[in-house]
Order: sequence, then structure tokens, then C-alpha cells
Amino acid sequence: MAALSIENVKKSYGSTQVLKGINIDIEKGEFLVLIGPSGCGKSTMMNSIAGLESISEGRILIGGKDVTHANPKDRDIAMVFQSYALYPNMTVRGNISFGLEVRKMPKPEREKQVQKVAQLLQIEHLLDRKPAQLSGGQRQRVAMGRALAREPKIYLFDEPLSNLDAKLRVEMRAEIKKLHQRLGTTIVYVTHDQVEAMTLADRIAVMRDGLLQQLASPQEVYDRPANLFVAGFMGSPPMNFIDVTIQNSDSLIISDTEQHQLPIPEGYDLSSYIGKKVILGIRPEMITEPLQHKADLREVCVLKLKTLLTEAMGADTMVLTQLGEKELNCRINPGHQVQMNQYSDFMFDMSKAVFFDPQTENLI
Amino acid sequence: MKKTYNLSYSANGTKNLSLLGSVKDKANRYLQQRSIVQHLLRILLYSVLLFMALIYLLPLLVMVMNSLKDVEEIRNGSLLALPKDPSLAAWAKAWGSACTGSTCEGIAPFFINSFKIVLPAVAISTILGALNGYVLSMWRFKGSDLFFGLLLFGCFIPFQVVLIPMAMTLGWLGLASSASGLILVHVIYGMAFTTLFFRNYYVGLPRELISAAKIDGAGFFLIFWRIILPLSPPIIVVTVIWQFTQIWNDFLFGVVFSGADNLPVTVALNNLVNTSFGGKEYNVDMAAALLAALPTIVVYVFAGKYFVRGLSAGAVKGA
Ligand SMILES: Nc1ncnc2c1ncn2[C@@H]1O[C@H](COP(=O)(O)OP(=O)(O)O)[C@@H](O)[C@H]1O
Ligand SMILES: [Mg+2]
Repeated sequence: MAALSIENVKKSYGSTQVLKGINIDIEKGEFLVLIGPSGCGKSTMMNSIAGLESISEGRILIGGKDVTHANPKDRDIAMVFQSYALYPNMTVRGNISFGLEVRKMPKPEREKQVQKVAQLLQIEHLLDRKPAQLSGGQRQRVAMGRALAREPKIYLFDEPLSNLDAKLRVEMRAEIKKLHQRLGTTIVYVTHDQVEAMTLADRIAVMRDGLLQQLASPQEVYDRPANLFVAGFMGSPPMNFIDVTIQNSDSLIISDTEQHQLPIPEGYDLSSYIGKKVILGIRPEMITEPLQHKADLREVCVLKLKTLLTEAMGADTMVLTQLGEKELNCRINPGHQVQMNQYSDFMFDMSKAVFFDPQTENLI
Repeated sequence: MKKTYNLSYSANGTKNLSLLGSVKDKANRYLQQRSIVQHLLRILLYSVLLFMALIYLLPLLVMVMNSLKDVEEIRNGSLLALPKDPSLAAWAKAWGSACTGSTCEGIAPFFINSFKIVLPAVAISTILGALNGYVLSMWRFKGSDLFFGLLLFGCFIPFQVVLIPMAMTLGWLGLASSASGLILVHVIYGMAFTTLFFRNYYVGLPRELISAAKIDGAGFFLIFWRIILPLSPPIIVVTVIWQFTQIWNDFLFGVVFSGADNLPVTVALNNLVNTSFGGKEYNVDMAAALLAALPTIVVYVFAGKYFVRGLSAGAVKGA
């Protein structure tokens, strides 16, 4: 039985449909990340799960129980908001225990629970402060403490880290991951940061304009994106898209230049596309400087590309190159030198290349 | 002021750089001239402000001075002259024995009447305004913006327009010529303002506070009581001062709706001024007027700074 089932959920504000039929099943203990560009309906989805918004159509089940029309308090969920939404007039202790108090938990138990949560999040020394006296990171912790205190069936996080600076964000990300592993809680987590999504998720749900684009493990979403949108959205710098024509079952030719040939990866059946145009998707890390140990592989091919720009990232160097009219992102070893505005050899490793139908934009 | 300081600081800082001395001198002279001009401008500004304040204070000053004279002195001397022999006799008479129409007990009894009307009216209209504002900002419903818009009309309806309908309504309710009736009138008339104040204050609070509290299991009144109301003191102060002043100073509703037994102090003051046996006692009139105005002045003196602060209070920090 799924911990949370979202069945064909639709939601409209007046005449604009924000959610257009979402279906997701979440297992107990699963960490699901909802990702998509701003305005695609992520918060609306979360508010619908929480019961803060009523949905226009469909059903929401929590632990097998239909809660479509239940009040937020009867859904056994807790939510962490982007703005934290701490009660400004209450101390940290008051913030954490308010939900317990409302639910009539006796005072000694409440205090025990507050202590437990505070210890877990290392905020014991802050318990008597007001939110205004806390830093951003501390507020974030208190907001999580408030959610944890009630020990609900499901935790909802709506962009909880987006108000933190970069360093703190990475720290808290790790902390949330540890917390999840330790407590085995079911979490739905909204973000528009794809690194957060990749690192935290058991499964990622990619949304766009109120529609679910793909629901799969992070690796699957990264390696086999369901369509051009997902492929372009996940990964930074994004996947390169090249218009190609399939020559035969083993090779293709790049449409722009009509001279560069590339092998088709093992096990990719493109026989029905022979002679037709498709879109090749290849990640930047698959276009590198020529590597000795890969040179003999069948799925590898070296092409000459003109270098437009290099960006040293430390661990790798990103190189923007030109192929015909097209600009390609490549990722090379920082030890390897390429000349600006000169043609150099780049190795295309096609083993993880993917192909999209230009009409439907879906993965072939 | 701060700017000048910064400028001269950077001018000093140029010492360390090997800039030409003449440039430095010129800069210093310029800065000196500037600060003299600024000084003069500031003096001018304060003079204007003081002058304006004086004009505003003059009537009050005249009233206080003349309330301390006796009738003869007023009649023979100038209104603007200082009292020769200040005495509080006129104040005592205004408070305790001046005639207001048919009775001669001063304005003291009417003070009590006013408080009996003002305190409940202020309390009720403030509470209702807070609840209305809470609903209109945090629990919006279909048409709530329209509702709010219509409610705002209430702020612009002149007193005179509502007199007759109000009188009829009070008649139907059996509240004509009673303190409760007058309280009801003030509550209804004030609600548009109090709702406006609270609603505008509450829309500045993050709505996610309500969402969080709902998820925590709190309901409509618990959220109001535990989360919204504790954030409201600034706007409560504003509303209470506003309502207190409005209702205390009201004359028209008081004279029309209160009935003979509940006349507020403003109406009594009017009666006092218009009742004369023999000569007009300007000193008593002025003392009575000052007495009648005293509560609102006291409120301003003690809570005025909260009033200003409350009006400019923005969203809550740390939410
Ligand atoms: N109360 C509302 N009334 C009308 N439109 C809304 C309301 N809330 C959200 N929307 C619209 O719904 C869309 C999705 O919003 P949201 O779920 O907040 O997006 P996300 O969280 O993915 O950035 C947006 O286009 C937004 O303008
Ligand atoms: Mg959002």
C-alpha cells in the first residue's frame, strides 16, 4: 500500500488549469523530489496534498485513506515552508510544541518531544529564543523541528533551502539526507535546484506546466530523460542536442555539416528511423579530450571542434565548442590544453547517447 | 549631516594620497561653505516649523490663559493678555456647578456618560474590526474583495446621511434614546475604519503562518487568538486611539441618539456654552472645553508615539 497516492489530480484557478492530471504513488519511507521550473504548479501540488488548497478533480490518499476532502489537521502530514513561517511571537520551544499542544498532548510528554527534536537538530541552545533572534540556517532548523515533532506519516518540504546561502544549503542538504536515512520518513520535497533533486531523491518527479514529465530514479532521469524538456532541465550545463540523420543501424551523420559521422550506441534500435532525422542528446561529460584507454571502443569517435570558450571549474574544465552552426558543451580534464578559436580533437563517447523524435520530442 | 561628515572624512583621507595641496584646500573650503549653507538652511527650517507650531498652538494657549482669568478680567482686558491673578475657579465651576440646560451640576456627570458610551463602543468596534480584517486577509472567500470594497464606502458616508435610517433602525430595535443604541451606532459607523486598519495590517503578514498553523491543527479562533492577535498590538493601538478620538469627540450622533439621560460631554459642553443667566462666562466655557478635550489629549500624549509607530509598522520580522 502506498504511503501517498495522487490520482489524476487536477486543479484550476478560475479558467487557468494549474494541475492537469497528476498521478504519483509514493512508497512508505520514500524520498520523492518534485522538480520543475518556477510556476509549473509544484507549490500548488504540495498545498493540495496538505489540504491547504482544494482540488478540482481526482483523489488524494494517505496511507490508503481517502483524504481528498479532509482538513489539513486530519491528514497526518507536516510541512516545511520556503519562508519557514515560524510563529514570530512564540519562542523556538513554543513553535515546536504548538502542534503538540493543539493536539492536546500532555505537557511533560510535549517537553520530552521538544527536547528530542532539539537534540536531533542541534538547536537545544536556541529553545528560548524568538525567531527574529535566529539566523536563516537556525530558522530553517526550527522549521524542520516543528515538522518532526509531530512525527506525521508524511513530510512535505516546499523549497526549504532556497532562502539559504550556497554553503549552508549544501550543509542542510546533507543534514536532510542523513535525517531521512536515520528516521526512514516519507518525504515529498519540492525544489527547482536539480543538484538538490539528484542528491536527495529516491525518485524524481519532473513537472512542467502542470503535467508530470517523468517519474523515475535520479540516474534514470539523468541517463534516459523521457523527453527533450527533461533532458534539457536536468544537468548543468545541460545536455547537448544535435540534429542528426540515421544512416543505417550502426551510424548516423550530423545534419548540419553532412560530413561528421558518429556510431549508434549498442542496443539502441533505430531501424525504423533509417534515412530520417532525429535529435541526438549527449551530455557534456561524454565529449572529452581524446582518451587513450577508450580509443579502440566501437562507440567512440573523435571529431575536430572549434573552441569558443573555456571555463575552469577546478575539477574539470568546461569547453564551449562549435560544430557547424551548433554550440556544444564539453567537459575536459583541466590538465589538457585546447587552443582558443582553433580546431582540436574531441572524443565523443556515444555509449550513453540518447535520441529524441523531433516531432513528439519524446525519447526513442 | 551624515553626508557632510563622510565628505570631510574622505577629504582628510586624501592627505595620504599624494594629491596636489591646492586641490585639498579647495575641497576643504568648498566643504566649509557647504556646511555653513546647510547650517543656515537648517535654522530656517526650524524657524518655519516653530512658527507653524505656534500658530497651531495659539488657540489652545488663549483658551488655557483665559480659563485662568475671572470674567471681569476677560471683559476689560485683551484676550491675548496673560492672566493677572491665575485661579482655577472657572475650572471648578465648569466641572462641578455650571449650568448645562436645566441642571447645574457642571460637566462631570456627562463625563461619566461619555465614558460609558466610548469604552464599550471602542472595545466592540476594535474587536469586530480585528475579526473582519482577519477574515478579509487570511480567510478570503468568493467575493471577499468586493465585500471589502463595499465596506470601504462606510468610511466615506457622511454622518448626516445615516441619521434618519439609523433612527428608524434603533426604533425597531427598541434602542432609541439609550446608551446601548448610541454604542451600536458608533460601532457600526466605526467598523468600516477599524476593518480597514486591521485588514491592511494583516495582509502584510505572511499567509504561510496561517497555513502552518492549520497544519499544526489549529482552527479559526485558535489561530486568531494564539498567532494573529499577539502580532497585532501596533494596529490595536492605532485603532483604539482613532476610535476613542472619533467617538469621544462626536457631537451629532450624541445629540440625536443619546436621549436626555445619556448625554455625552460634547453635548453638555454645547449646552453649557449656550446656557447663560446674566453675562457670558467665557472663562468657564473655555475651562469646560479644555476639560472635555482632556481625555483625547491624554491619550495622544501617552500613546501618540505608538500611533505613529503602528501606522508605519510593516511585515513582521522573523516570520
Ligand atoms: N491563488 C492563486 N490564484 C490564481 N493563480 C494561482 C494561485 N496560486 C498559484 N497560481 C498560479 O498557479 C501556477 C503555479 O503556481 P505554483 O504552484 O506556486 O508554482 P511553483 O511552486 O511551481 O513555482 C502559477 O502560474 C501561479 O500564477
Ligand atoms: Mg513554489
